[in-house]
Amino acid sequence: MKLLIVEDNLDLLENMTTYLEREGHICEAAEDYRQGFDKIMSHSYDVVLIDIMIPKGNGLDLLKELKSVKPQTGSIIISAKNSLDDKVNGLELGADDYITKPFQLPELQARIKAVTRRNQHEGNQIIEVHELSIHTNTREVKVDDQTVDLTPKEYDLLLYFASNKNFVLSKQTIAEHLWGDYVDHLENLDFVYQHIKNLRKKLVAAGANDYIESIYSIGYKFKV
Amino acid sequence: MKLITKFILIYLTVTVFVLGIGGVISYYIIQDEVDKELQWEFLERIDRVTYLLEQGRRFNPRRNIEGDRNLIIQELDYPVEDRVEVTDTLIWHNRLEQNEQNVKVSAYRNINGSPYFISTYGAMIESDDIREAVVKTLLWIIGLQIVGALGIGYFISGRLFKPFRKTLDRIRNFDLHQKEILPAEETSVAEFTDLNRFIEQMTRKAVSDYKNLKEFSENASHELQTPLAIAKGKLELLTESNLTEEQYRYVESLERSIKKLSRLSESLSILTKIENYEFINDQTADLSKLITESIEEFREFIIFNKIEIETDIQENVSVQMHPALTEIMWTNLFQNAIKHNIPDGTIKVILNPNELIISNTGKPLSVNPDQLFERFRKDDQNSSSIGLGLSIVERIAHQNQFNIDYTSKNEWHTIRIELNPVKPV
Repeated sequence: MKLLIVEDNLDLLENMTTYLEREGHICEAAEDYRQGFDKIMSHSYDVVLIDIMIPKGNGLDLLKELKSVKPQTGSIIISAKNSLDDKVNGLELGADDYITKPFQLPELQARIKAVTRRNQHEGNQIIEVHELSIHTNTREVKVDDQTVDLTPKEYDLLLYFASNKNFVLSKQTIAEHLWGDYVDHLENLDFVYQHIKNLRKKLVAAGANDYIESIYSIGYKFKV
Repeated sequence: MKLITKFILIYLTVTVFVLGIGGVISYYIIQDEVDKELQWEFLERIDRVTYLLEQGRRFNPRRNIEGDRNLIIQELDYPVEDRVEVTDTLIWHNRLEQNEQNVKVSAYRNINGSPYFISTYGAMIESDDIREAVVKTLLWIIGLQIVGALGIGYFISGRLFKPFRKTLDRIRNFDLHQKEILPAEETSVAEFTDLNRFIEQMTRKAVSDYKNLKEFSENASHELQTPLAIAKGKLELLTESNLTEEQYRYVESLERSIKKLSRLSESLSILTKIENYEFINDQTADLSKLITESIEEFREFIIFNKIEIETDIQENVSVQMHPALTEIMWTNLFQNAIKHNIPDGTIKVILNPNELIISNTGKPLSVNPDQLFERFRKDDQNSSSIGLGLSIVERIAHQNQFNIDYTSKNEWHTIRIELNPVKPV
C-alpha cells in the first residue's frame, strides 16, 4: 500500500514511517502544506494521513484539495486538538477517519487497513490468514469455511490482531482499542486476558492454529 | 420599579416638600406686608386725630369718630414723652367667633400742653384668608407640576431613553460564542454614548479573553500531546526489538505513565473549556438512555470486578445540557464508582426527574467528602487516578445550576445531583 503522511514533526513522522514500513507499506512524507499539495497533485496514494496543524496552511484545506481532485483516496485526519469542531469539520469534508494524538501505532495501522478495505471492492473485504478468514462486511470469522461463533468484542480483537500481524500489542493498547475512552480510568486490565483466553479457546476448538502468543503476560503477538 | 417612575416620585416628593416650606414663607411674608400697610394707615389716622385735637376739637374717651369704633382717645393726667408703640393684640371676632390677631398702634402725644393717649387697632385681612389663599395657590402649582412631570416622564421613557433601551437589548442578545463585539453607537446623550463605548470596550475584552483562552488551551493541548505521541510511538517501536522481560516491564510502566500524562492534559483542557463556557447548553440530552446504555457497555467490567449493580432508572429523563458534557459527567461518576469499589461491592444508580444518585461501596474516606471536588485532591495519594474526575463533574454540575453533594456514611459513598429536568414533549 502506498501512503502519504503529512506531518511536520519529524520524530512523529519517523515513528509512523518505521512502524508502517515494517508492515510493507510504502510511506512518503510531506512536512508542510506546500509539499503535501505538490505530492497529492502529482502522485496517487491509497491513504493520505493529514495532521491538521501543519506549517504554511491548514490540514483541513489540504483534505479539501485532495477530495476535489482524487475523491477515491482514503484519508485520515490526525489532530492533537481533541476538538469536536475539528472532528466534525474533518469528517464533513470527506475524511474517512479521525485519530487524536497521542494515538497508538497499532491503532493507526488498524484504521488505515479499515479505510482501505472500505474503499475497495466487495471481493477484497476478506482478510485471510492461512486457514482463518475474516469477512469484514458480515463480521464473520471462518476456519476452513466453518463459521466460528465469536462475540463482537472477540471479533474486534481478532481483527485488530490480524491488522497488526507480528507486532507486539500491550494489554493497554488492546483495551483502548476495544473499549476506547471507557478504560481510561480503569487500573485492572485482566479482562483483556479473559477475552484473549476465550478467543484462543474458540479458534483452537474450530481447528485453527493458536497464533496468539503471550509476551511475558504483559502483551500479545499475533504470530504468523 | 421603573427608573422613570422612581424619578417622577422623587421629583414630586421634593416638589411637595419645597412647596410646603414655600407656603409657610409666603404666608408670613404676606402677613408682614399687610401688617406694615396697616401700621402706615393707623399712624396716619393718629396724625389726623392729633391735628383735630390741635385745632381744638374734643373727643369723649372711648368714643368713636366717624363711625370708627376702634379708636381710643384719652387725655392723661401725667406727663408723657411723644412716642409710638406697635403691638399685636388678640381681639374677639364676633362673626368668626374666635380671637383674631390684630395690629394695634398706640401713640402718646403732648397736644397744646396736655398729654394724650391715642390708640387704634384692626386687621385688613383675616389670617384664615391668607392661609386659604396660599394653600389654594400651592395646590394649583402642585397640580400643574404633576401634569408636567407625567408629561416629561412619558417623553423621557419614549424618546430620550430609546438609545438606552436599545443598548439593553443588545447586551441581552450578546453571545460570547459568536465572537462579535457590540460596537458603540452614537447617541445625542453624552452618558448613553459613554455607556455604549464602555460596553464596546468590555465586549471587546471579553471576546478577546475568550478567544485567547480557547486558543491557549488548544495550543497547550497540541504542544503536550505531540511529544507524548512521539514518546508513545518510540516505546511501541521499542517493544518490537526483542526485549527481555525486565525491559518490557519498564516499557510497559512507561506507557502507563505516558497514558496518565495524556489523560491529565486532556482533563485539564476539558476543565478549561468548561470554565471558558465553550460548551453551550442549548441541546437536550436524554440521561435515561445515556445511563442505561453506558451500564450495558460497562457490564463486562462490572461482572469482572464482581460488583453488583442495582438500578432504579426512570425513562425519558432529559436535561438541557451539552451532550458531550452529559457524557463526561456520567462517565466520570460511573467509573469512579467502579474504580473505588471493593470486591463483592455494590453500585446503586437512581435516576428520576429531580435527581441523579449514584452510590457505591468503598473504603471509608480519610478526608472530608467535599474536598474531593477540589482539583488534584485524592483520598489515597498513591492511587493511579489523576484527581480531576470529580472536579470536572462538579464544574459541569455547577455550570448547569445543578446542586451536587457527596456524602460518605459507613462504607457507602453517595453523590447526589439535583437536576433541572426538561419536560418531556
